[in-house]
Amino acid sequence: MSEKILELKNLTMRFGGVTALDTVNLAVNKGEICALIGPNGAGKTTVFNVITGVYQATAGEIIFEGKNILGMKRHHITKIGMARTFQNVRLWGEMTALENVITATDVHKQSGLPGALLGLPRSRREEKRDHIRAQELLDFMGIGHRADQLGKNLPYGDQRRLEIARAMGTSPRLLLLDEPAAGFNPAEKVELATLIKKIRDAGYTVLLIEHDMSLIMGISDRVAVLDFGIKIADDLPGKVQNDPKVIEAYLGVPADAS
Amino acid sequence: MINIRDKGASIWENWNRTKRVTFVLILIAALALLPYAGTFPLTSFLNTPITSYQAVLVYPIAMFVLMALGLNIVVGKSGLLDLGYVAFFAIGAYTMGILGTTTHMNTWEILPFGIGFAMLAGLILGLPALRLRGDYLAIVTLGFGEIVRIIALNLTQTGGPNGVVGIPNPPPIFGQKFELNDHAGYFWIILTMILLVIWMVRRFTIRRPGRAWEAIRQDEDVAALMGVNLLVYKLWSFSIGAAIGGGAGVIYASKVMFIAPDMFTFNVSVLILACVVFGGMGNMWGVILGASILAYLPERIRFISNSRQLVFGLVLLVIMNVRPDGLLPRKKREKIKHKEVK
Repeated sequence: MSEKILELKNLTMRFGGVTALDTVNLAVNKGEICALIGPNGAGKTTVFNVITGVYQATAGEIIFEGKNILGMKRHHITKIGMARTFQNVRLWGEMTALENVITATDVHKQSGLPGALLGLPRSRREEKRDHIRAQELLDFMGIGHRADQLGKNLPYGDQRRLEIARAMGTSPRLLLLDEPAAGFNPAEKVELATLIKKIRDAGYTVLLIEHDMSLIMGISDRVAVLDFGIKIADDLPGKVQNDPKVIEAYLGVPADAS
Repeated sequence: MINIRDKGASIWENWNRTKRVTFVLILIAALALLPYAGTFPLTSFLNTPITSYQAVLVYPIAMFVLMALGLNIVVGKSGLLDLGYVAFFAIGAYTMGILGTTTHMNTWEILPFGIGFAMLAGLILGLPALRLRGDYLAIVTLGFGEIVRIIALNLTQTGGPNGVVGIPNPPPIFGQKFELNDHAGYFWIILTMILLVIWMVRRFTIRRPGRAWEAIRQDEDVAALMGVNLLVYKLWSFSIGAAIGGGAGVIYASKVMFIAPDMFTFNVSVLILACVVFGGMGNMWGVILGASILAYLPERIRFISNSRQLVFGLVLLVIMNVRPDGLLPRKKREKIKHKEVK
């Protein structure tokens, strides 16, 4: 069996009286594209927020590469190898595309502020190295020509691509993509699907939230379905598609069945 | 409206190294000659009525520029609203006052202590306060500014409301003497500090710390999720700003020879903040311009005495309406040259 990179065990998240996630168990295998789907308000983004340390889970465990990361600081979680994008694009709009990515690469720099002030060799070396790497990532995402443009001036699709490039800048082993195709037209979606596969083939593991079924079915190795904070299915895409519980969650129960 | 900042920047970028170095040297020489501008016929319009032009040049102008540059790192670069910046100025000044009158150390020996204590105060305040954001941080720093002043007002060691008197002037360096009524020397010292700060900020801006601050300013949650250690970089920003304020305080105390708590009121914090906002938050050159104008203007129009503050307020109001982002706002340009790759 393939190795698990991320494992959620009985993850529960309550906001006051609302249970957003109810004992969710989920495992992501190394090197796969795992999709997380579910109707609106099912708790998909909450899963991301809990994994990346934005929220503190009420109960349960989050095991990343064998280590429980529950309670770790956000920047620390990024440093150990996980990075995400956002449902609503959240770039640093007043930085150039290149700067956006370089800022993400900074997480693995050894040199800090004194090195920058004194212009120490290590600081210079790292700046140069990450500058090149950031440009490579932009090229990889097909937006290399936008390097010197401000984030906010980029076309919408390129902003989404830049967000993925930025997340990749932190050299993650697990990439969390929150609705990367939101607002895309069908042609752009196809393009994105190819891109996500390319990302996986470059050695990243991808956990992705998405609404678009055709996209999901086309690229995912496995699909997990959330409904009202409960995982109702977790299987190969073809099987999930025909699962009565999933159909029920999305379309409702036929009137005569109740 | 023409974007002066971008125009200037693009001229600069098209220059080669020799041209840049020559320009900077000429600029520094011209700045160093500023104390004598009042005596040349061509520039004598700069002369201030009633108060001596040279005195005005040192305080408030140069001093305000230095402090505004320090505050700009905190407010402009990192987006942390600090309403108690005067506290660090006061800590520097009192360090000079107390050590200068009770020990045999001279100004230059006390300077590192003043900077160090201010920095330490920045860390002590920042460690709990920087977990707050926005308005809450502003309130805490405002409180801190007042606390420092009130402590100085009530402590016997600080002379209470009478302050500290008989603070020694700095001893001569490189043959330049420092006396109460000889202002040029002080101006050159502060000018040197300003140039050092400019150099420092320029280094930060194109490297990791500058990017971290910029990321925090624009969206600190995303910054944290992209691996920026918020507390560390906020603390750096805060304590570097504090250190500059402390350094300014030491020189100030050593120049005026007398300090009292009522020199370090909330007004000063607001005025320095006004310099930053007026000039253009986050853009060093704007801040320098803004601080120079805000410090110089009230002295230049001193002859209209009572309505002086009114005119001052009016100018602020008009300029902020015409240019809401300040005189020279932060970069809005697309192109950025990274010299690291060349």
